[in-house]
Amino acid sequence: MLASKRLQKELLKMHAHLPPGIDIVSTDDLKEWLMDIRVLDPNPLYQNEVYRLKFSFSKSYPIEAPEVVFVQDTNRPIPWHPHIYSNGIICLDLLDRQGWSPVHNVESICVSLQSMLTGNTKKERPPGDDNFVKYNTQRPRDINFLFHDNSV
Amino acid sequence: MKVVIRQWNAVAAWRWDMPDDDVCGICRNPYDSTCSKCKFPGDECPLLLGECNHSFHMHCIFSWLRQESSQEKCPMCRQPFKSKAQDTSGPATQNEDIVQTS
Repeated sequence: MLASKRLQKELLKMHAHLPPGIDIVSTDDLKEWLMDIRVLDPNPLYQNEVYRLKFSFSKSYPIEAPEVVFVQDTNRPIPWHPHIYSNGIICLDLLDRQGWSPVHNVESICVSLQSMLTGNTKKERPPGDDNFVKYNTQRPRDINFLFHDNSV
Repeated sequence: MKVVIRQWNAVAAWRWDMPDDDVCGICRNPYDSTCSKCKFPGDECPLLLGECNHSFHMHCIFSWLRQESSQEKCPMCRQPFKSKAQDTSGPATQNEDIVQTS
């Protein structure tokens, strides 16, 4: 109940206004939203591409962080980034238990991810991507990321 | 001319002494409204002002601070959240403004 009221509010506000490069794809189920994001400046890594994000909300959102991953589709690749695994799992402090704050919202997460991509110049995956993607069975929220890189 | 008032009805409205359009950063409901769980605004669902001057519905900030991951920090500025000692004239207390009498 806590979550759905807040999500309905966010949705209403986002229908009225969204920052450039961010679009709502589907929110039919208030527990799971799909959003599309684009990088707006001419970063060659991300030009002419659109990325799809899946948000999953628990009942305790926004006290608890949502689970946010990139999802692949025919024309929606997983963006290259040293903190984004090829299965779409994102290593970003604000999505982690330690970095989350309940004043964040769907829009602010999308903006943060846009800027995380904007600032990147490396066409790389995180170290150990192959093994992680092959063997990881944990949900993103249960993974303990080690944040070793404060530059991104 | 002499007027004798036989009966009068007073109508009063109250609001928290906060900026008009501000909402609680956690539930995004207006301060004058309630947290997402309460039905009646006011004393039953009061505001709490932090020493950092960020305020929230008391129920909202408590449910955040109860989480271990909050590390008892303010969601806005990440400083340790301590509620500000309040006197009755300070912010976040209930101001009763009589707006209309008839």
